[in-house]
Amino acid sequence: MSEVMQKMRAPLLPGVVALALSTAYLIALLAAEKQALIIGLLAFAVVAVLAAHYLGWLNLVSRSFADQEDVLGIYAILAACVVAAFFHDNHFVLLLFVTVLLYTVATLGLNIQFGYAGVLNFAGASFFGIGAYTSAVLSTYTAVPHLLVLLIGGMLAALIGSLLLVPVLRTRGHYAALVTIAFALLLKTFLEVNNVLGGPQGMQVKGMSILGWSFNDNFEIGKIEMSFYLNYFVVSMLLLTGTFVLVRRLERSWIGLNLDALRLDEIAASCFGLDIARWKITAFLLGNFLIGIAGALFGMVGGFVAPNNYTFADSLIMVSILLLGGIGNPWGLVVATFIVVVVPEKLQTIQEYRILLFALIVIMMLLFRPEGLLPRPVRRYFPGWRA
Amino acid sequence: MDVGLLAQYVMNGLMLGMMYTLVAVGFTLFFGVLDIIKFSHGDVLTVGAFTALATYIGLRSAGVSSTPLLLLAMLVVAILAMAALGMLIARYLVMPLRSAPALNTLLITLMLGTVLRELVRLFYPQGANPKPFPALLPTASINLGQFNLRLDNALMLAAGGLAIVGLQLLLNRTKLGLAIRAVAQDEETARTMGVNFTAVVLITFAIGSALAAYAGIMNGLYYNEINFGMGLYLGVIGFAAAIIGGLGSIYGAILGGFLFAALQTIGTVALPFASAYKDVFAFTVVIALIAWRPTGLIQEKISERV
Amino acid sequence: MSRIARLSIIFASALFVGAPVATAQAKDKVKVGFIGPLTGGVSANGLGGRNSADLAVKLRNAHAKTKYEYELVVLDDECKPNVAVQVATKMAADKEIVAAATHYCSATAIATVDVYHKFGFPIIVWGAVLPDITYRAKYAEVHRVNGTMINQNDANAELISKIGFKNVAVIHDTTDYGKGHNEYFSKAFAKLGGKIVGTFGVTADQQDFTAELTQIKALNPEVIYFGGLTPIGVRIRSQMDKLGIKAVFDGTSGIVSDAFIQGLGPLAEGSLAFREGAPTEKLPGGKFFMENYAAQKYDNPPEAYGAFSFAAMDLILDSIEKVGPDRKKVIQELANVKERDSIVGKVTFDDHGQNTVAVITKYVVQDGKFVEWDDSEYATGKRKLPGQK
Repeated sequence: MSEVMQKMRAPLLPGVVALALSTAYLIALLAAEKQALIIGLLAFAVVAVLAAHYLGWLNLVSRSFADQEDVLGIYAILAACVVAAFFHDNHFVLLLFVTVLLYTVATLGLNIQFGYAGVLNFAGASFFGIGAYTSAVLSTYTAVPHLLVLLIGGMLAALIGSLLLVPVLRTRGHYAALVTIAFALLLKTFLEVNNVLGGPQGMQVKGMSILGWSFNDNFEIGKIEMSFYLNYFVVSMLLLTGTFVLVRRLERSWIGLNLDALRLDEIAASCFGLDIARWKITAFLLGNFLIGIAGALFGMVGGFVAPNNYTFADSLIMVSILLLGGIGNPWGLVVATFIVVVVPEKLQTIQEYRILLFALIVIMMLLFRPEGLLPRPVRRYFPGWRA
Repeated sequence: MDVGLLAQYVMNGLMLGMMYTLVAVGFTLFFGVLDIIKFSHGDVLTVGAFTALATYIGLRSAGVSSTPLLLLAMLVVAILAMAALGMLIARYLVMPLRSAPALNTLLITLMLGTVLRELVRLFYPQGANPKPFPALLPTASINLGQFNLRLDNALMLAAGGLAIVGLQLLLNRTKLGLAIRAVAQDEETARTMGVNFTAVVLITFAIGSALAAYAGIMNGLYYNEINFGMGLYLGVIGFAAAIIGGLGSIYGAILGGFLFAALQTIGTVALPFASAYKDVFAFTVVIALIAWRPTGLIQEKISERV
Repeated sequence: MSRIARLSIIFASALFVGAPVATAQAKDKVKVGFIGPLTGGVSANGLGGRNSADLAVKLRNAHAKTKYEYELVVLDDECKPNVAVQVATKMAADKEIVAAATHYCSATAIATVDVYHKFGFPIIVWGAVLPDITYRAKYAEVHRVNGTMINQNDANAELISKIGFKNVAVIHDTTDYGKGHNEYFSKAFAKLGGKIVGTFGVTADQQDFTAELTQIKALNPEVIYFGGLTPIGVRIRSQMDKLGIKAVFDGTSGIVSDAFIQGLGPLAEGSLAFREGAPTEKLPGGKFFMENYAAQKYDNPPEAYGAFSFAAMDLILDSIEKVGPDRKKVIQELANVKERDSIVGKVTFDDHGQNTVAVITKYVVQDGKFVEWDDSEYATGKRKLPGQK
């Protein structure tokens, strides 16, 4: 039996090749300075992906990823490290990279809420902000160890989110959307008028330091000077890996099954004895917890928090990432976050028009490919088994 | 508290409430016929206000200086343009997504709102800056102690009221209104009874968007300033008002609009520590209300059947 | 500004400096930066500052004897602290950019000083007036050519009490800019025996002020002091009129811009405002600056702080010429700036990098223009502010 299944596993090679190519491409894109080159590279990517799609190569890659996820996951981490090492002294590229990693963590949290349990959350940026403000306050006024600060950031996000539990559980559809939208506006206004938390001015956040190792200083390995953002890269990468594994495990466990059932048909799920409220609460709190941790770390990376960073519009960007990537597919989220964060940053010529373009792209996606770039595949109960 | 002062607060609240209501009514209309939330509604309001301003500037430079004529032209151009825009949105963005999940419609209209907002910001001359909006209504005022009643405010309040009464008559006394209500109640049955569904939807979107243009001009005349972001804020409040009132009910939208304005005004007067918390207060009450009445104060008369 | 306009500026300037550039091709390229609000409500000031910095760079490049060819990198902070931190990080992290003239808004300047310090990036603030920007910490990287808001508010309080006003209501935005103004003005006014009857904090993007103004109306002040920037200044002034409030509108340097007058029309008449430094046309190099600025045919006027932006950029270019494009050396060089001639007068950086500008200009709006108080018909008694005796 196991031998048969082993044989039926898709080969590793397409996945590895795809990863290697994307890594090389990413380095080229991040290193490119000339606008013409960047536009060329982006156009090339679109053409290449479309071509690969029509030649059936994309299908090979996704099968390879589906069957050999563990191995390829490790390769993906290695690839990220290669990119980071390549840009070891380039502050700005590393900052961008860290931003991508942390946004991915946050959208993974949203994914648990919306992608699995079907709980709408239009206040993603608000919970991200709660995390960031937590690290601002704790790092300024207390000596709480910074790793613990991250944890507290997550817990506070979950705790404050739990204030919304009653309305979230009681409402559906558009009414449920209002709950989180109202919360997003409320929180931003609250932060703005509250003097203790810096008002609209915002607050400085101290850099992270663990056991005397200050994250905000450049350091040297041998004779080569390293950007201090490399520190944050390591922590963010660890956080992302942990979150990714957690989300994947969750999805494949019976909890994931419960959440899927709940999303697809609440009434049917409750007929089968699922405690709707319990699983909605679990998903909502866990999602906010992850978003909060990512936010707390992001606050330290950026060194500054202000209410304007966590507006309703930012929450919308998070939801759009989810949609762009393909709801429920963690790999899709990684790709989508890269696109949403990196492309506008690199395309200086469209700097002013980026929000406009971004909105247009999402509209096109919704009209012509509503399932996202990498739609979530049908749940597979046996590895290697395909119907 | 001084009576004049109280009257002033009531007047402030009424003006706010009227603008919120005009927006909320739009949300409720769209929801009625298609069961969707069209989130670009607030930004249609912005575009309407900017269209009116452009009309004003254009006519002024063409030598028209009669105030009533200018105002009339602004109203006609903006309302017609937004009605057309509303129909386009319905036809090419909302109707194609009818079979998709509700979230998709919500997102696509949110993104459309962003597009409209950005278009104004980027392509209206100096669109990123707040624009002065002409005061075209007579500004005579009566001072009663602390209460300053301005003629233009009174006129706008009346105009807003007329618009809502007019809409109400349209819905309840005309054949078109009957068709709209029929579609809102049961699309399938309405179709079998010979109601042209697409036409009804398009007309409803035209009406709702025209109301947004109307509210946009009113907003401009009231604050004498418009900016590209004004619609986002008004849109969210209008949405909140429509929801707490109960989607699909005109009375709900009116109730919600004035309730929200009342909450903000009360927030200013009654919160002793800081009036700045008025929005925090208003939104907290909104969340509490929705927890208490999950489908709005005036509830939809449909129960979900398994 | 539209892209076409921007392109045409670049094109026109290329024509203007075309010949010298052609001969200077062998020179090393050096990048310098500018940050200011190019979009949003105070963009007029930002664009004026940007053009002025651009002018400084162009005039320098047109000079045959320069060692380097300078390129100006411009970023937009939108007058928002969060955006400012992003763009400041972006600029400071770019090692090719040696130094920069940064920020009109105090809220953005105070948010970014730590970033500049972290990256060892020398900057000269060209318009923000909050004292804390230079005085909160002693950062060698941070300098400022314009003065702080302390002197401004002393002059403001003095003028108001001289006219005979006793009761003032304060409205301020709740950024550090508005809070700072509130603090220094209230202190100065209390010292002169005046009374603050009420203080109201408002957010910088607030639209409706009728609630706050209704409360103020009940307090019946003679003057409404406003610590904030042009956009909400315009809103508050026009809503005062709606509610029939007759008090004098007393602003800060934040409303000294043409946009304030354009936004209000006749309602602007009689508004007060204050700014540190002499008016551009009375500055030592003012004529030189205005003539060259006009020659470039920019879309926007230099506005109140253009001359400071020009002076800041000029100082940066002087330093790079002298010590080369090296951030550390530029910081050392800027520390030595003493009694240096510039178009805004002599510049001396104290140990916090603050230039000491003592002169304050008092303005009143008269017939759609900011007129110096002492030259105005209000000072001579020909016209009267509401409630002026």
